[in-house]
Amino acid sequence: MGEAQKPGRATPLQVARAVFWSFFGVRKRAAYEKDAVSLTPLQVIVAGVIGAVILVLSLVTLVYFITS
Amino acid sequence: MYAAHAHDQAHGDHAHSPGGIMRWITTTNHKDIGTLYLWFSFTMLMVGGVLAIGIRAELFQPGLQFWRPEFFNELTTMHGLIMVFGAIMPAFVGFANWQIPMMIGAPDMAFARMNNWSFWLLPPAACLLVGSFFVPGGATAAGWTLYAPLSTQMGPGMDLAIFALHIMGASSIMGAINIITTILNMRAPGMDLMKMPLFVWTWLITAYLLIAVMPVLAGAVTMVLTDRHFGTNFFNAAGGGDPVLFQHIFWFFGHPEVYIMILPAFGIISQVIPAFARKPLFGYASMVYALASIAILSFIVWAHHMFTVGMPAAGQLFFMFATMLIAVPTGVKVFNWIATMWKGSMTFEAPMLFACGFIFVFSMGGFTGLMLAIPPVDIQVQDTYYVVAHFHYVLVAGSLFAIFAGAYFWIPKWTGHMYDETLGKWHFWLSLIFFNITFFPMHFLGLAGMPRRIPDYALQFADFNMVASFGGFGFGLTQLIFLAAVIKCIRGGEKAPDKPWEGADTLEWTLPSPPPYHSFETPPVVK
Repeated sequence: MGEAQKPGRATPLQVARAVFWSFFGVRKRAAYEKDAVSLTPLQVIVAGVIGAVILVLSLVTLVYFITS
Repeated sequence: MYAAHAHDQAHGDHAHSPGGIMRWITTTNHKDIGTLYLWFSFTMLMVGGVLAIGIRAELFQPGLQFWRPEFFNELTTMHGLIMVFGAIMPAFVGFANWQIPMMIGAPDMAFARMNNWSFWLLPPAACLLVGSFFVPGGATAAGWTLYAPLSTQMGPGMDLAIFALHIMGASSIMGAINIITTILNMRAPGMDLMKMPLFVWTWLITAYLLIAVMPVLAGAVTMVLTDRHFGTNFFNAAGGGDPVLFQHIFWFFGHPEVYIMILPAFGIISQVIPAFARKPLFGYASMVYALASIAILSFIVWAHHMFTVGMPAAGQLFFMFATMLIAVPTGVKVFNWIATMWKGSMTFEAPMLFACGFIFVFSMGGFTGLMLAIPPVDIQVQDTYYVVAHFHYVLVAGSLFAIFAGAYFWIPKWTGHMYDETLGKWHFWLSLIFFNITFFPMHFLGLAGMPRRIPDYALQFADFNMVASFGGFGFGLTQLIFLAAVIKCIRGGEKAPDKPWEGADTLEWTLPSPPPYHSFETPPVVK
């Protein structure tokens, strides 16, 4: 429980990783607790919207290849 | 997990409101308003249930027995609208009102007066809905989805339904704003977001979904209203509009709405199972992430309700894939609930029975949902009883069973008395048995091609329909056991301790039973 690191602002990679795992619905406890202290709501929302766009685009691409 | 909260009960138990009926009309207290919501939703459950019994009575035998076909369509439409907007949604808001302040260590909801207004909008809306049966032409018979052009052609009952939806939507949005503000601003010191009970998390996400999609529904029904009365042609093909546009808008609301009705249920189950397995919830973090995932995905799957409307193969594939992805986070949740039970010291009181029943039966509804996500299958069973079976497995065995689990779980806290365990167990087992007698045969009926929303049917469907009707009457009557259990619990019974459930560890159990008027006047300390 007791994490010692100071809550610095998360890097874009860390935000992307957190959002990726949130799309899958699984997260390691340690990584989750790190997210909890370093991610800001704005970061999560922006990354979530970008992640949703990427998901939709990748599904569209997949469908395009299947139907072409 | 939490430091014990030494609350001075005598100090906390002072109400400033008037007595009698005015107490309920003027109340700004979250517990009073929660109680109002719960009684309102139970009343609407009974009203919607009577309509369902009307449907099942007609379908007991082939041929027309009781109702004109138009009235049968009114019954199915109003059963859906009343159950969705009058029973299930307000019930969860009732739980939110009672539980969220107590679970986060707050004295009350953030906007207490708006809370009162949110509730008191509902009875007029319910009157509009129920009253629409008595206007010329009767209630709307367009189906709960209110598809155009049916909805642009109905009598004044349709207008009443539109206004009712406007009012209920406004109520939901205000409730959602209140819940979000309460959760984000009024948590006890030390309770960061990641320490919140899962029920609170589910409501935080549900409230955002509500704010996102209720205006979409309001927009759709307002366009229907202007098409009907003000010469617009949004959904009128003859005037250059497109009736399919209505379906897109409706389901862009409608699919997140499905999650609005199930996420708080997930929250309740996630509180009940750890308490009766006497173990912390397995994978709390995964549960939160899975919730976020389900909420996001709910916005990109709406057209799976419209496969038969006509759409390019690419569109069908996109919505099929997106829909199937939802099985992943949902599977994570079911896995985590079962893993929570694994090697737990389980006991099976009524809340746990309903939670286990929920997992069992809801999962079946989830699997039939997956089948419906496959366009070639969906095209075969679209608008058949297979779909009716699917969504009743999700909404009755899912949402309603979770509501019962939550009611038995928290009613000792709310009333200060233990409920009658025997009644609770009877209620569970009869509900589970009659539920499956009612809805399981509908899978077969649907696969054999029986269409929904039709009062008559071919002879080969007769036996399963008779079984389903028998189950439906039984399920309806069984709910009177719940009413009896609740009334008995309110009137008296064994005194409930502060924490009647050994494994429960959230903040509300540190308060006396029943809790003081203002839940936490001094914020508790969360370690």
